[in-house]
Amino acid sequence: MFFHVISVGKDILAVNRELAEKNRRLFEKYGVRAFDFMGSIGSGKTSLIEEMIKRLREKGVRVAAITGDVSGDDDAKRLASLGINVENLNTGKECHLDAHLIEHAIEKLNLDSIDVLFIENVGNLVCPADFPLGTEKRLVVISVTEGDDMVRKHPVIFGTSDIAVLNKVDLAEVMGVDIARIEEDYKRINPNGVFIKTSAKTGEGIDELIRALGL
Amino acid sequence: MHEFSTMQGVVGVIMEFAEKNNAKKVLRVYLDVGELTFLNHEQLKFSYQILSEGTILEGSELVISPIKARYVCKHCGSSGDLPRIEEGDHFSVPVFYCPECGKEIEITSGRECRVREIEIET
Repeated sequence: MFFHVISVGKDILAVNRELAEKNRRLFEKYGVRAFDFMGSIGSGKTSLIEEMIKRLREKGVRVAAITGDVSGDDDAKRLASLGINVENLNTGKECHLDAHLIEHAIEKLNLDSIDVLFIENVGNLVCPADFPLGTEKRLVVISVTEGDDMVRKHPVIFGTSDIAVLNKVDLAEVMGVDIARIEEDYKRINPNGVFIKTSAKTGEGIDELIRALGL
Repeated sequence: MHEFSTMQGVVGVIMEFAEKNNAKKVLRVYLDVGELTFLNHEQLKFSYQILSEGTILEGSELVISPIKARYVCKHCGSSGDLPRIEEGDHFSVPVFYCPECGKEIEITSGRECRVREIEIET
C-alpha cells in the first residue's frame, strides 16, 4: 500500500470562463454585440429588452435574443412576437445560464444575420455572477418594487457588472422608495459603473440605456 | 444554489486524477474556494458526501480553504486585497475599484473553485 500526494490545480469555475472567452471570440468574429441581462425576478428585464428591440429595429439594427428561465417559454414568446429570432433555454434545476448553454444556443442562431444579441439570464441576483457568458457587457436590472436595499444585499453582482438599471422608476413615489439611496449604494461599491433609471412602461431612460450599450 | 452541480465537476476532476494515478482510494481532497463565489462551504461538503458514496472517494475528507479576493488596477498597476466597506456587525461588502486611484480593477483571485491537491492510496 502506497500513499501519494497528487498536485491537481484544476479550477471548475475557470472551465466556464474559458468557454465564455470562446463565445466572446465568436461574437467578435461575426461582429455580434452581445449583452447579458442579469437581474431580479420580475424587475422588468423582458420589458426593457422589448422596448429596446422596438427602438433598435427602427434604426435598422438586426436583433436576436436568448432567453433563460428555469422553465417555460413565456419570455421567448413575448420577444418572438416582435418578429425577432429567439432561442429559449430552460435550465431545469439551475439558477443561472452558463457559457456552455450559450455556446449551444448560438449554434442555432445565424450569427451572420445578427447585429445585436440580448441574452436574458435567469432572474436571480446571486448565481449568474459566478458565470460570465462571454458578452461585451453585463447588466444588472432591479426595480423600485423590490425596495431600496438590493445593492447592499447583493454587492458582488453589482460590483462585477458594467451597468446597473433601476427599472419601474415611475412607481418610486407610490412605493415610497428613495432612488437616490439606491444610486448612492451602487456608487460606493462600483463608482466606475453606469447607473441608469428606467421605466419600461413610460419609456423613460430607454434611449439612455441604448446609448450606454453603445448602440 | 449551484453547489451540487459545481461539486459534480469537482468530483469529475478528482476521479480523472485518481484513475490516472491508479488510486485504490482517495483519502483527502484540498479545494480552494474564492470568497467572491456563491458557493456555500457546508453545502459543498454535503454534496461531496452524497456524490462520493459507493466510489473510491467514500469516507475521504474534503478540506476547503477560503481564498481571499485580490485585485490589480488596470490603470495605476497597484495590487492587493480587495477593499471592503465594514459597518457594524452585519455589513461587510467588497468594493470594486482601485483603492489607490479609484479606477477600474481586474479581479485576480477570489473567483475560483480549484482542486489543489488530492491524497491517494495505491
